[in-house]
Amino acid sequence: MSLSAAEQVTPAPPSGGRKGGSRAVKARSQRQIGRWERVGFQGPSLLVLVLIVLFPLIYSVSLSLQSYSLVLPGRTGQWVGLENFQRILHDSDFFHAVGVTVIFVVCAVTLETILGTVVGVMLDRLARFRRAITSLLLLPMITTPLIVGLMFNFAFNAQFGYLTWVMARIGLDPNGGVLNQGPTALAALILVDVWEWFPFIALMVIAGLRALPTSPFEAASIDGASTFQTYRYIMLPMLKPVLVVAVLFRATEAIREFDKVYILTGGGPGSATTVNDLYQYRISFLNWDLSYGAALGLVTFAFVLTLCGVLYRVLTRNEAQL
Amino acid sequence: MSTASVAPSRRIKTGLAFVVFGILALAYLSPMIWMVLSSFKHRIEIFESTPQLTFSPTFANYIEAFSTKGFGGNLKNSLIVATVSSLLALVIGVPAAYSLSRHRGRFQGTYLLLLLAARLLPAIVLSVPLFVLANKLGVGGSYFAVIVAHLTFSIPFTVWMMRGFFLAIPQSLDEAAQLDGCSMFGAFIRIILPLTAGGLAATAIFCFINSWNEFLFALILTGKSTATLPVAVPNLMTPIGTFWGQICAVGTVTVVPVLILAFIVQKYMIVGMTGGALAGD
Repeated sequence: MSLSAAEQVTPAPPSGGRKGGSRAVKARSQRQIGRWERVGFQGPSLLVLVLIVLFPLIYSVSLSLQSYSLVLPGRTGQWVGLENFQRILHDSDFFHAVGVTVIFVVCAVTLETILGTVVGVMLDRLARFRRAITSLLLLPMITTPLIVGLMFNFAFNAQFGYLTWVMARIGLDPNGGVLNQGPTALAALILVDVWEWFPFIALMVIAGLRALPTSPFEAASIDGASTFQTYRYIMLPMLKPVLVVAVLFRATEAIREFDKVYILTGGGPGSATTVNDLYQYRISFLNWDLSYGAALGLVTFAFVLTLCGVLYRVLTRNEAQL
Repeated sequence: MSTASVAPSRRIKTGLAFVVFGILALAYLSPMIWMVLSSFKHRIEIFESTPQLTFSPTFANYIEAFSTKGFGGNLKNSLIVATVSSLLALVIGVPAAYSLSRHRGRFQGTYLLLLLAARLLPAIVLSVPLFVLANKLGVGGSYFAVIVAHLTFSIPFTVWMMRGFFLAIPQSLDEAAQLDGCSMFGAFIRIILPLTAGGLAATAIFCFINSWNEFLFALILTGKSTATLPVAVPNLMTPIGTFWGQICAVGTVTVVPVLILAFIVQKYMIVGMTGGALAGD
């Protein structure tokens, strides 16, 4: 995997300080022009993002310190200090939602990593059909997530879903539909996510394998290593950087799972599949408790930002290595 | 990896592999295939408890959903939102990406990190302030509101992805163009941009797909007349029953354009999926 290969090729911009006075003046004036051009090129994006991302985030902070609702009477934006944040500490439903999210993310990403790595390695060894299979594997992850949820809602329907029929045939009695019982509903949600996303890991693994040098593998085969040993002790460690990035990407996406749960189970039965984003959606847009929703959002944001920092460090470290 | 030695029974092996992979692929994609098949089924065939593979196809579900129930309007809304937000993201993001690929400094590094953070920002975090602000400004339920919301992820995406493509073009080319009398802007428009045409098209397509597929922002920021396809589909699940045939029809229409577009940008899939943070091949 090459992280923007040209980066090392491109020399740093000349830092001026050349021989000859007039040249130095010219270089300086050019740098001045460069600065203005930079403002012209980068400025609009910065301005727009400040307006549509940064400002709403700051606005969200101010909302979280108020008691605000568009619908509930008497809550017109009174300042309440940290009350909303204190409320989080005693919100057992929130902690339940966080727990469900953790189970979902850990199970889904682990299964995706294992399955994705196995399929990726197998596909890499495949001489024929590799392109065709890779194209087919791409389809689920590009499909509209809400429609993915609908497809499986349809397939798992207790009365006429074809997967319900298949499960009954192979002796896995779904009795009353997998989506109608807490544990199986969560398992179904995880499986749907694995169905949708293990190809992402597989794709990353294939790309990672392409970038590996061949000499360690040759050396291993000369030394008489078995296939398993070669995989376990040579390929897997060399794939690790790619896998770390892939897993982090998947984790940041799985944490904000919303669309599929919304349509597959609606968070139910009970609250068995109510993940964090769905819980917050309910608080803000069904209970109309917008200020509390803002506070919950900020806590989530702080967490994702930490994860993002880790991801950035991993990415730039790889960039420096390659 | 090493190529397998040529076996005499190679043709049989290939045939066998074809059958095995074919069955696996069908099983893997069966939820999708089932949806497409069901969209052409009559009501009675859908509610059969044993899955029906043979049936007399009908377009009734499509006609009912798109002409009677107004999903044609939702299709139009999806097209408008995805097209406008992608174009805006390109116009705003591409020059920034170019500039960020040519200058490196503390500011540029910080800006890229912030862009990554913005892209990974969960939609739920922004949805609350954007909803309140949209209502205060009186633009709740408009195209404008949802397009702006989609820009919050498509601009950062465009910058990261296009920066990767610009980095792959040697800076000496800009310098040569500028020596020949081009301004920096002229060199960018006439020399560099045409060289990244493929990347530009891929970026545009990914922006389009991401906006087309987006659900949460569209759910809270669109109104009855501006609802996109994903927002409108769940309306077919009503207390008096779920119109599965029509859901499958609308689902098929939602998914097929995306799959066609994805097929076009297949070789950019890793770059697109990771938002340009990784350049695959």
